[in-house]
Amino acid sequence: MSGDIKAPEFDFDRLEEIIARYKGQKWSLIPLLQEVQRELGYISPAAIKPIAEGVGMFPSQVQGVVSFYTGLHTTPRGRNVVKVCRGTACHVRGGKTILKIVKQRLALEEGETSPDLEYTLETVACIGVCALAPNMVINNDTYGQLNPKKLNQIFSSRSRG
Amino acid sequence: MAITITLDGVEVSGNPGMTILDLAQESGVHIPTLCHDPHLVSYGACRICLVENEQNGALLASCVSPIAPGMVINTRSEKVMASRRTIIKMMLASHPDNCMVCDKGNRCQLRQIATELGVGWVDFQRIPHPAEIQDLNPFIERDLSKCILCAKCIRACQELVVEGVIDYFNRGFPSKPATVGNTPLELSNCTFCGTCVNLCPTGALQEKVKPHHGSTAKVVSTICGFCGCGCNIDLEVSGNLVVRAKPSEGDTPNGATLCVRGSYGFDYIRSPHRLTQPLIKVDGDFKPASWDEALNMVAGKLSEIKSASGAESLAFFGSSKCTNEDNYLLQKFAREVIGTPNIDSGGSVYNLASRNGLGGSLGFAASTSPISDIEQSEVILLVGDDPTTSAPQVGYAIKRAVRYKKASLIVVNSQDTGLASSARLSLSPEPGTEDALFNGIMRMIIDNGIWHKSFVSEKTAGFDKFSKSLSGYAPEQVERITGVASSKIQDAARLFAQARCAVIIYGSGITRQIAGDRMVASLADLALLTGNIGKAGAGIFALQEENNGLGASDMGCLPDFLPGYQPVANGAGLALSGMLEQAKSGNIKGMYIMGENPVALIPGSGEILSSIDFLVVQDLFLTDTAKLASVVLPAASFAEKDGTFTNFERRVQRVRSAVDPPGESLPDWQIIQKLAGAMGHSMPYSSAQEIMDEIAARVPLYKGINYADIAPGGIFWPRTNGNRFGTRRLYEDGFAQGFGRFSVAELREGKERVVPDELVPRRTVFQFGSGVRCAMSERLSAVRVDV
Repeated sequence: MSGDIKAPEFDFDRLEEIIARYKGQKWSLIPLLQEVQRELGYISPAAIKPIAEGVGMFPSQVQGVVSFYTGLHTTPRGRNVVKVCRGTACHVRGGKTILKIVKQRLALEEGETSPDLEYTLETVACIGVCALAPNMVINNDTYGQLNPKKLNQIFSSRSRG
Repeated sequence: MAITITLDGVEVSGNPGMTILDLAQESGVHIPTLCHDPHLVSYGACRICLVENEQNGALLASCVSPIAPGMVINTRSEKVMASRRTIIKMMLASHPDNCMVCDKGNRCQLRQIATELGVGWVDFQRIPHPAEIQDLNPFIERDLSKCILCAKCIRACQELVVEGVIDYFNRGFPSKPATVGNTPLELSNCTFCGTCVNLCPTGALQEKVKPHHGSTAKVVSTICGFCGCGCNIDLEVSGNLVVRAKPSEGDTPNGATLCVRGSYGFDYIRSPHRLTQPLIKVDGDFKPASWDEALNMVAGKLSEIKSASGAESLAFFGSSKCTNEDNYLLQKFAREVIGTPNIDSGGSVYNLASRNGLGGSLGFAASTSPISDIEQSEVILLVGDDPTTSAPQVGYAIKRAVRYKKASLIVVNSQDTGLASSARLSLSPEPGTEDALFNGIMRMIIDNGIWHKSFVSEKTAGFDKFSKSLSGYAPEQVERITGVASSKIQDAARLFAQARCAVIIYGSGITRQIAGDRMVASLADLALLTGNIGKAGAGIFALQEENNGLGASDMGCLPDFLPGYQPVANGAGLALSGMLEQAKSGNIKGMYIMGENPVALIPGSGEILSSIDFLVVQDLFLTDTAKLASVVLPAASFAEKDGTFTNFERRVQRVRSAVDPPGESLPDWQIIQKLAGAMGHSMPYSSAQEIMDEIAARVPLYKGINYADIAPGGIFWPRTNGNRFGTRRLYEDGFAQGFGRFSVAELREGKERVVPDELVPRRTVFQFGSGVRCAMSERLSAVRVDV
């Protein structure tokens, strides 16, 4: 992770509002964390203590849950999350090359986010559309039967638009 | 209804709710475990305790599987043994291969179980974690490459000491126990209580300072010599060196926990600054002397002063840190050999309030109940103390009650305490007005009609007069005196009175005040008014400053009471404050101080003691007080002598000698015995036990207490019920004097205190007392905490 990312201000006022809604509820931690992430983009490490107080847990326990799930993040994420599939079918159909090209194109390694918070690059094990391999998902859009030319088109159209 | 199962071909029965492991342990069937501990909630993390259900071939983790009727369990089938071996091999495959040099050595449970299962060569691909030793703090060394993720440390921190410093971090292979932000322990809220270190089955958590490597030769069970909790500790000894301290097994006040002082602070006993021979001051400098020289000089001087100025010109000061036997002998020496009534002890000032306040109302001048009752209560009223530093076991119990048993905590303290954040209600009365606050609370309880009417009418006396005496404590009046909003007083009154059971815990914050006895009496009234005496989850807890604060008073190191609080016949002697005053005016000419350092605690006392004709100090170190003495006698520490301490719960517990005292130093009682001999009075005791036998014969409060019967956890005095553990809870069958007596509240607005606030030493869990033990502990004194 490059150190010069200027994280947007984490909205602690909004955080307090979300925590207040879950106070006193049983088993509220995971839905609360999901909502914080949805609303505020990520779960700031500084948010762990107030969340723990809100749900009556130790901060170390909340951190344990956050660090357990890949779906929960403690650093800001890009506006576009690119997930390149590394499943078996995609691998056989050249997924490795696709990943290499995406890395070059975005100038990111796996798990990294661009300093302008435009892109986050991740890999996934399988997205379940092996017939279209090699595949990639950007936010909620799935792209199949990828090749270098198609990749170029996808990213060019996104940056234009 | 008992449940019967077949365990390894034998029918055994257990109670519903028991696990297979519980029943196996009860039946003497060994099942290996790594993540299980009887003090923790069963977890099922390590899978070593797998057993086979022969009816369906299923493998069950026995620590989390309840017994069911008709179960047929095999604990050692082929399948079970193969699974256990595989699991151990998988653990070893990611464990470093450096057992040869790991200090956990043969204490490592992973190694023990591997050996037991015959696992030698691990034929799995080895992927050990890289070693990463973290040891910047003076207490705990962490090497998480040896962690097997059993979570004992995590659970102990959450369930027992309720700090929750660590929890699992990450998932899969990289997962490990970590603090918030994965910081080193010293940057977290860790209190270094050492509970995790003691429970860790492998070498992942170890004490940092290792004065000895390899197996230790013997283990001595004794009592911690710091605070009044009286934790039972096992001292591991090699040669003449105490290597480590661990909590003892048994029905003890501390269970599986200690605090940083108990776990690591004992190293003061091996300090190079310990006194090793008697010292006599010659021309302002101390010169080493033999015991004969020193004792003959003391005997000669005491006799000289006695014959020149009378026995009453001599004063004796016993110790809230020495054993009951030491203190008993000192007061016996003072009263019977010298013939002076001037005997007091450290901590007696604090106990004075309890003696008058509790003794007068209830009968006995001490806590009514065991610590375990705190955890059963619905409401906890904590007054004038921060047990997280002064009595950590009480702090743990309060936090457990609040966090896991939904108890409500009311904190009454003019200062911030470590427990304020756990409190449902926090009241900060002006210092010195606490009794007005309690009286205001009681008046609200009576006005609202929520007092315990049947308890008051059946078991107490003086209610009408008491009730009338509260007339001056109208809410607005109390708010004016104490500065606490009347709505808060109302909340506290309702919360406390409407609880099914509630406890009151108080400490030095009120007992050191001039009106301390009034305040304690008010608290006793509150307990009587709400019926919170003599039942489970209720009672009053009088915290003690020191390990034997209660015992020293019990033993009659008091100016106005003989041992067992029997009143003195010929008028009271001088308390410490009186001794100092009379020394200043020249009426006290000689003083004998055992194991106390008043110069560090009482402003101005140094000047007075340096001007006194003859001062004898017996202690472990050349303390600020000892420096002023004419003769200094080297004494043995708690780990170097036999005897008993009485903790604040009234447990009389056995102190056992683990190592020899350094040099020529001697147990305090032997010094007094020798001194008596030098003065021509024979004290023919051959052991501390014989002194306790005399105490048990002479002092009704200690009747029936003898060393042979003291098991781990001790005997709660009074042992009048013949019960092996004595009286755990007082007043269950009513009050000794027939009734609990309400005190009449006088309207008092005074705010004077015995010691001004700025002169009260601020304690941390690392530093408390008068600078003898913690300050001389290499490990504790390495920690600087600003307070």
